[in-house]
This record gives sequence, C-alpha cells and structure tokens, in this order.
Amino acid sequence: MLIFTLRRLNLFIFTFIVLTALSFSLSFLFPGDALTNLTGQVNATLEQRALLIEEYQYNSNIFKQYWAYLTHLFNGELGVSISSHLPISSEVINLLPATIELSVVALFIAMVIGIPIGFIAAVNHEKTIDNSILFISMLGYSIPIFWLGLLAVFVFSIQLGWLPSAGRLSLVYEIKPVTGIQFFDILLSKSEYKWQAFQDATLHIIMPACVVALAPMTIFIRLARTAMMEVLDSSYITAAKAKGLTFWQIIYRHAVRNALINVIRHIGLQFANLVTLAMVTEVIFSWPGIGRWLIESISQGDYTAIHGGLLALSSFIFIVHILTDFIYAALNPLARERKHGA
Amino acid sequence: MKAKYMSLNTIKYLLITAFISLLTLGCSNENTTSLSTKSVIYCSEGSPESFNPQTVISGVTVDATSHQLYNRLITYSGDNNEVSPSLAKSWHITRDGKKITFYLRKDVEFHHTSYFTPSRKLNADDVIFSFNRVLNNEHEYHDISGGLYPFFQSIQFNSLVKNIEKINEYTVRFTLNRADSSFLANLATDFSVILSEEYAQHLSKLNSQQQIDRLPIGTGPFKYKEYRPGSFIRYLAHENYWQRKINIEQLIFDITPSNTGRLTKLLAKECDVVAYPIAHKKIIERPDLSLNAITSYNVGYLGFNTTKPPFNNKLVRKAISYAINKEAIIDAIYFGKAEIAHSIIPSTSWAYDPTIPKHEYSLSKAINTLNQAGYPNGFIMNIWAMPIQKAYNPDALTMAKLIKSDLMKIGITVNIFHNYEWSTFLKLIADGEHHAVLLGWAANHPDPDDFFTHLLSCSAATQGNRGTFWCNKQYDSLISQSLQTTNLNKRKKYYASALKIIEEEVPLVPIAHSKRFQGRSQNISGQLLKPFGGLNFEEVNKN
Amino acid sequence: MARENIYQEEEFPSPLKQLWYNFKEKPMIMLAFGAFIALIVLAVFAPIITPFSSSQSHLDSILLPPAWNNNGDVSFLLGTDKLGRDMLSMLMHGATFTFGLSFIIVIISAIIGVLIGSLSALTSGFKSSFLNHFLDVILSIPSLLLAIVIVAVLGTGLSNTVLAIIIVLIPQFIHVTRNEVKKEFTKDYVLASKLDGASSLRILRYSIFPNIIEKIITQSTLAQSAAILDIAALGFLGLGAPTYIPEWGAMLSNGIDLFYIAPWTVYFPGLAILFAVISTNLVGEGLRHALKQRKEH
Repeated sequence: MLIFTLRRLNLFIFTFIVLTALSFSLSFLFPGDALTNLTGQVNATLEQRALLIEEYQYNSNIFKQYWAYLTHLFNGELGVSISSHLPISSEVINLLPATIELSVVALFIAMVIGIPIGFIAAVNHEKTIDNSILFISMLGYSIPIFWLGLLAVFVFSIQLGWLPSAGRLSLVYEIKPVTGIQFFDILLSKSEYKWQAFQDATLHIIMPACVVALAPMTIFIRLARTAMMEVLDSSYITAAKAKGLTFWQIIYRHAVRNALINVIRHIGLQFANLVTLAMVTEVIFSWPGIGRWLIESISQGDYTAIHGGLLALSSFIFIVHILTDFIYAALNPLARERKHGA
Repeated sequence: MKAKYMSLNTIKYLLITAFISLLTLGCSNENTTSLSTKSVIYCSEGSPESFNPQTVISGVTVDATSHQLYNRLITYSGDNNEVSPSLAKSWHITRDGKKITFYLRKDVEFHHTSYFTPSRKLNADDVIFSFNRVLNNEHEYHDISGGLYPFFQSIQFNSLVKNIEKINEYTVRFTLNRADSSFLANLATDFSVILSEEYAQHLSKLNSQQQIDRLPIGTGPFKYKEYRPGSFIRYLAHENYWQRKINIEQLIFDITPSNTGRLTKLLAKECDVVAYPIAHKKIIERPDLSLNAITSYNVGYLGFNTTKPPFNNKLVRKAISYAINKEAIIDAIYFGKAEIAHSIIPSTSWAYDPTIPKHEYSLSKAINTLNQAGYPNGFIMNIWAMPIQKAYNPDALTMAKLIKSDLMKIGITVNIFHNYEWSTFLKLIADGEHHAVLLGWAANHPDPDDFFTHLLSCSAATQGNRGTFWCNKQYDSLISQSLQTTNLNKRKKYYASALKIIEEEVPLVPIAHSKRFQGRSQNISGQLLKPFGGLNFEEVNKN
Repeated sequence: MARENIYQEEEFPSPLKQLWYNFKEKPMIMLAFGAFIALIVLAVFAPIITPFSSSQSHLDSILLPPAWNNNGDVSFLLGTDKLGRDMLSMLMHGATFTFGLSFIIVIISAIIGVLIGSLSALTSGFKSSFLNHFLDVILSIPSLLLAIVIVAVLGTGLSNTVLAIIIVLIPQFIHVTRNEVKKEFTKDYVLASKLDGASSLRILRYSIFPNIIEKIITQSTLAQSAAILDIAALGFLGLGAPTYIPEWGAMLSNGIDLFYIAPWTVYFPGLAILFAVISTNLVGEGLRHALKQRKEH
C-alpha cells in the first residue's frame, strides 16, 4: 500500500505541476496584458501596477514568475474578477459547493440506477431485455443534454407542474450558507421553515441531477454489464454453480461484489465527464454553480475569472479522481500492483 | 471476509433508512403555514444599477427601488392621475408660482434594518438633505455614486430651484427662479425620493458614504434585506409603514433576463408576477394565470446623431424616415401589440396633434429625398441597438436588422452594434460614437412635458443620453413657454408647433408606442401597473 | 435456380468482406448506416439542394409554424424562425456544419493522433513514461471542458471551435493507437518480422497497421458522436458558431427565447442532433458488434 501511495503521490505532484503550469501560461495566452489577466486589476494606477509587478515578479525570469504565482495560489489569492470586481477566491468558495452538490447527487443517481440495470442486462445476455436495455441506453447516450434539459423543464415543470424549473432553492427561504452544501446548511439553520426548505431543495435538485446523470448512467449500464458478464464467465462462478448454490445466491454473494469492484475503478473518469455535463446543465437550470459562472465569464471575456474557475474545476475533478483511485485500491488489493497507464 | 461483507450490508441498510427518514420527516410538519403564502416573488428582467432612483434613469432600477423603498413629497393618484399628498400632507403655492411650501406629516418612520436604526421620525431635514444633494455641487453627498442625477439634469432642476429652506421642523419651502407648471409633476415622479439625513450622518461618521445608495434606508413599504447581483433582491415588509399595513412579509425580485426563463417560472408557479411576458397566448390559456395590460406613455425611436455627417443633413434623416416599414416592425417585434408612432407623443395624450403630416412608408419618396440630399448612391452607416429589453422596444437587435434590410432597398448599408452591457452602451452613446441609435422613452408622469423636454430639449442634448445631440432654439423656447402657463389650450398650441418642428427636422424617427404587459397568478391582487413610472407593490396581496 | 459451383475451391471472403456480411445482418444497423450516408450526402450538397438559402430572411413570414399547422405555409415546410429564415433549409444546411465538420474533425485528429501514437509506441523508458503521465492528465479532463478552455483562449467562433475539438480528440487517438500498437508488438507475427530484420517503421506500416485499423475506425465513430455533441454544445453555449450560421446547437439557443411562441425552433434542431448522433452511434455499435462476431468465428 505504501508504494502505491507513493506512486499516486508522484502522479499527484506531476499533475499539479502540469495543471498550474498550464493555468499560469493561460494568462499569457489570453488576449491583453498578462498581468491584468492574472490579477484582474483593470484600472490599476501606476503605483498599484508597480506594486503588482513586484508581487508577481514580472521583472524577473519565467521561473520566478511561476514561483510567485504558486505562492499567491497557496495563499488563496486568485485575483479579482474583471467584470464583477469581487475576489475570485470568494466567488469560487461560494459557487464550487453547488457544483459539487449537483455532481455528487447525479453520480449517486447514475450509479444507483445504472449499475443494477447493467447487471440485469448481463444476466439476461442476448435476450430481448438485454437488447432493449442496450438500445435505450444508446438513446440516452446520444441525446444532446441541453435539449434534454429543455424538454424536461417543459414536461415536468410546465405540463405536469411537479418540479420547479430553475434555481437551487425557492427564494422565499433564507438559509445562511455555512458549508456551502445546501442540504447541510438547511439542517444547520435555525429557521422555522427548515423542513419545508429541505423538501424544496430536494425538489429543486431532482431534475438537474437526473438530466446530468443520464449519459453517465448509460455508461455505467454498459460498464456494469461488461463487468458482470466477465465475472459470470469466470471459473469461480462455475464452481459455485457446481457447488449447488442457487442463481440468486451466486449473484448476491459473489458476482455483484466482484463486478462492482470492476465498475468502481471507472468512477474517477466518469466523474470528470459528469462534471462537464453539470456545467452545461447549470446554464439551463440557472443552477448557481461554478460551471455557469465559468461560461458567463467566457462570454464576457473575464480572463481572471476563467483562469480561476478552470483551476478550481480541474483541481476538483482531479482530486476526486485520485480519491476514487485510492478507494478502488483499498478495495481491490490487486489494483495496487497494476502498472499505471494500463 | 464474512465480517467485512456484513458491515457492507449494514452500512447499506443504514444509509437507506437514513435517506428515507429524511425525506418523510418533512411531511410531518403540516401545521406551519408555508412561507410562500406570505411572500410575493416578482420575476424581473434585469439587475438594478443602484438602490437610489435619484442617480439613474433606467426603468429596471426604478421598478426595483422607487416605490418599494421610498416615498415622495407628493404622488399621483386617482383616475385622472392628479397630484396628491404623500409625505407632504398639504402644500401652498404663491400666486406668482415661485414659492411652494410643503407641510410634512409627523408620523412617518424610517426603516429599521440590521445596518441602521433610526432614532427619529421623518422631518424637514430629510427633505432638505435629499434635494440639496442634487442641487448643491459642494454638498458632501453630491459626488457620491458618480454625481450624476440624469432626471434632474434633464429638467434643469438646478437652474429652476433657487433654494430650499426649512421653515420649521415639519415645513419646507422651495423658491423657484421662474414659474414652472411641471414642477409639482416632477416632484411626484419616481426620482424625487426622500432619503434619511440621519443615516447620511451615520455613514459620514463611518466614512462609508457610498452605502447610502447601496444599502438604502427610506420610508417606503419595503425595506432592504439582501441583494445578490444578477440573482435576486430580497425586501422585507416595513412594519411601521405610515400609510397602511403591508399584506405580505417578503417581496423578492427574481432577476431572470431570459424571456423564456421568466415565463417558465410563471407557468411553473415559481414566480407570482412576471415582467414583460411575450407569449400572451400561453398565459391566457391558463385559468390560474392572468395577463394585465396598460397603454403606456412611451415611444420607441431611431435617433440620429445630428452632429455626424451625413446626419446633420435633415433631408437624409427624412429619407430614412420614409424608408422604414413600421407596420412590419410592429408585427415582428411587438407581435402586433403596439401602435405606430407618428410623433413622439402617443395619440392618447392631449398634446397629440393629428393634423401634423405623417411620414408614411414610401420607398419612392425615400429615394427621391435621398437624391435631393445629394447621396444618390447611398452610404454606409451604423445603428446601435440597445442591448436590453424595454416595453418601448422589446428586441432592438431584430428591429435593427429589419431596418437594415429596409435601408438596403434605398442603397444604404448598415452595420449593427449591439453587444454591450447596458451602462457601457449608454456611456458610448453619450460620447457620440453612433450614427443612429435605437432607444426610447417611457414617461415618468402624465404631463406631456416629460416627453418634450427629456427627449429633444437642448439640455437633454448636452446630457447625451437620448442620442440625438439635437438642439433647436425655437423648439426649446416653445416648450419652456408651455411650462410657464397652466392654460391647457395655450399649451396645446405650443406643443403643436413643437411637433411641427420635429416633423420638419426629423432628429429622430418615432417607431412605436407599446403597451406594457404583466403576467401574474390569479391569487395576486392589487394594482401594480401604471401607464407611467415604475412598479408599485405597496398594495399587493396574495390570497 | 442454384448457382453452379464450377470451382471446387472453398471461397473465404476477405476480412473486410466478412466484416461487411456481419455488419449487414442487423436491419437496424443498416438503417442507421443508410442514415449516416444520407447525412454525409446532405452535408456535402446542402447548399445546392436546400429549397431556400439558409441565410435569406423572409421578413413577411416571420415565425410561421410548420406546414401542418393551420397558420403554416407549405413553402416553408418546417416553419420559419424569428428572422423569417426557412427552418428546413437551415436544418439541411446545418448538417454541413454540425455533422460535416464533425466528420472532417475526426479524420484530421485520427490521422494526427494515430501518427503520434504509433511513433510514441516505439519509444520506451523515461520518454514513454512522461508521455503516459501527460496523456493521462489530458485524458482525465473531459473533452467538452478542454474544448471550452481552448475556445476561451482562442476566442469564440466556428473555426476556433473546430480547432479546439481537433486538439481535444487527438489524445484519445494517441491513447488507443499506443495501446494497440504496444499490444501488437508483443505478438508472435511481429516478432517474426523483427527476426526477419524489418525495421520498426516497416513493421508498423505493413504488419501492425492493417490489424489495428479497425480498432481505430471504431474509435473514430465514438469520437464523431462526441464531436457532434461538442460542436452543438459549444454552439448552444454561444461559444461556437455565431448566430447567423445555421449550426444546430446555435439554432437551438436562438430559439429558446421565443420557445413559447415558436416551439418548433427548439424542437427541430434538437431532433436533428439526436438523429445524427444516433446514426453515428448505431453505425459504431454495428461495427463493434461485427468485429466481435468476426473474431469469434
């Protein structure tokens, strides 16, 4: 386990360097003055500018600049937004939890629904259920997510009136943001309308999370199906059958656990995909997350915000990726030996 | 192995039970009345620029703040929209029309908020502070938030008012430099709000004077609680409001710039009232929703930058006026719900003159006039289309495109400029960057002077917001003469002559007078829309 | 009447022919394949065969509903948008952008990716490990996000979108090629060629390449459906095609604001995207299935 951890740490540091180097170079790649792009101080006076040049080491070579950039990063300074003049770090702290909330709930839905369906498909391999599940999952994979979101709003909010069409919580409720995760904040708040707010928040998250979850769900169906089919083909299952275990006993006691392990290793990659889908969904449902903010910043040309948002988002994705790798390695001792990249 | 397996199972069960119990727990509390029955959510179309209407002219800001947070000395009421008492319970005007004395109410309380607690009720000091801030360039608060008071500048308030004096604790006297029959009307507009002088002193001590326009204190039916730019404004009811008891606890402005987004929220019952709905059929179809309409005193126009050639040539302007197909624009942009504007004044106003020649759509006339002007081969020009929606122009970009194709037919090529944020757009127009601009004007009060002065007077030209930079001495003298008398017939004659000048000089092409619409749930009652000025939620009630 | 088998030899169809026979088996897949070909034809010939020009505004027929509606007009079969442009023409022309461009993107990134991938498969040691790490980092960033980043740097617009998606898809091809080539390198027939004295490049070109090409084609169909969705998503977000180009995603985003008055401006582009992606995916599915069947037999 130790060697595995060290290797992972190595990868983490490497990726961190690559990510920060790329985002550092963004300030040069964006149009306009590089220092302004980095700090967001558009109307800096001459003295302020001199101060900034000193702080970010713009008079020295590129390595010193990079080092200064890293120091600022670790102090939590990401500059100021060009359009809203608010510090980027505070915007990120406000908005990132919303995206995390949406992504985690969507991941949960995708896994809880997708994996069992995949197993069912595998068990009924080559029969009609299998083929229809495959077909429907291909449909789900092909539908453009923004169109799906619009249709969902039209059907569920307007025609049926079951679910709200936008936002994270009805504006009538005032919940003080403590953790950033709405559900925890509601439970922690002292408002007398706590439970109504909780229900309201649940209603608000259902549609966006389902829309985000659809495409990853179909991938989980596929992954679970393949994993389960592989497991069912293996020799220990045949041995179990020979032992005389019933079908359901085999499935529950042996097949599911081992197939599940195989699926879990893909969560990291799928999560990255899911967060991207969440970005687009945030725009459609006006979900106050970092994805929507990032896209708005791109349209407005707010380079400091783009840079901060990208760094935050990719770090988040990457940390989750590493975490899931760890969890997978913890669950499956075999994975620890496996060479990286295979 | 077995122990691990068991713990995984138990974890699963625990999670499932926890989740289900969380969801169902909410169902047990049915006794508390829902917070939403005591709150009204209004879906608005934009974010306010400030919380003090003195400093702005945009309808979005006025709608959000003026009648909600503040009161005025006098206000409009009744079917004839007459000037009636508000913070001033009565007033007296001297015979020469130059001295006006207001007697204030004694029971008006300011807002109590988390950031300020007033120690006294409203008195003359507050009134004097509110107006001296605008009048006196040396005033401590004059330059806070930019020092611009566009409405007051356009009515030449500073040159009209000689001074304001405090007669006693509850009496204020205005002395004017000349008689002006629209003075009272202007004092009753959304912009002439009364601020708290005590709050101003409090902020001065803390050296944070800009907060006066950002964390507002007023006497109005609602007080400020929270604002997230681009997202929402939360107001709470003012418990000690002097005029009446407010029926609701919270008023929330849900800022939704997208048309479809606003209507969706109305249809999904996430908003109780909605601004500028466009799909009227959808609202009419639903029995639980209703559509309100009111004919507004407004005009959408194409203004020419009369300082830039070839637009300093009135024949060029006239030619373009003949070339624009206004019918098609009414159909496409206003979806038929507006009337063609032949002058800046709507036909419902008493100042409208039907005898003035109209510039009917005629390509042949347009080409002839353009030839006369000396541009037989046309030219290239730009049109700036306003980036936000207004009742007088819900889609300036498409209108610009329609005009572009109209002008193509007489040989003029048009480039359209559109992608600016609203305040940047206004600034560039004021700098005179454009050849022509699609703008408009919505009246603040029913007196026609509101149109004549604000759109085309010389002082409006120097201010720059109207886009024409047109200054005609004859026109100016006509409209100021009209202000000096209260005789309706005389005023009509003056305005008719002014309209004739506009028709001949064509500083702008009036395009349409629109109706203002609002969508709301059936259970919302109270008159919210007025033909002029901003929204007023004072009387709103949710059943 | 049965054909006379004059020659006694057994006929073994070539691998490609085998693939085709397996592919042909499922009617659904053939349908999708037909649709795929139809879309390619549409993408190429659209500017010629559309009933009206897709950019022509008919200002007297703004926001007409589709022809089957009472207020519709048969000459505008699928209705018009808010500037009076014919929906049908725009949809057909959109095939050129959303579908046609995706096709070209995939071809370009496949060529570049395979080249780099196969060359890098020949390296080993530190260079190889570094490339591995680097690729992993890039691959862990989802394609749409990466495309958005590149567009943020280069600026919005259709050509930048195309460039961005090409750049984004290349790592996928590198990864697949690398893995496949490395796998093939361990096989016996390659060893035989090596013993014969063939250089690595020669082995690559003549021995390995024909064996991995099918894997690459499968990857291409996956990449193409991703490319279509990415082009449309970027167009929808306003970061891709400008509004006067009838790209399906941009058309959809244009239609949203008037959704309640003219829902057809939203439904049809979405259906078009769905149709294109389904056809591509089905063709890909069919290929994968046929490949597997061919392997098993």
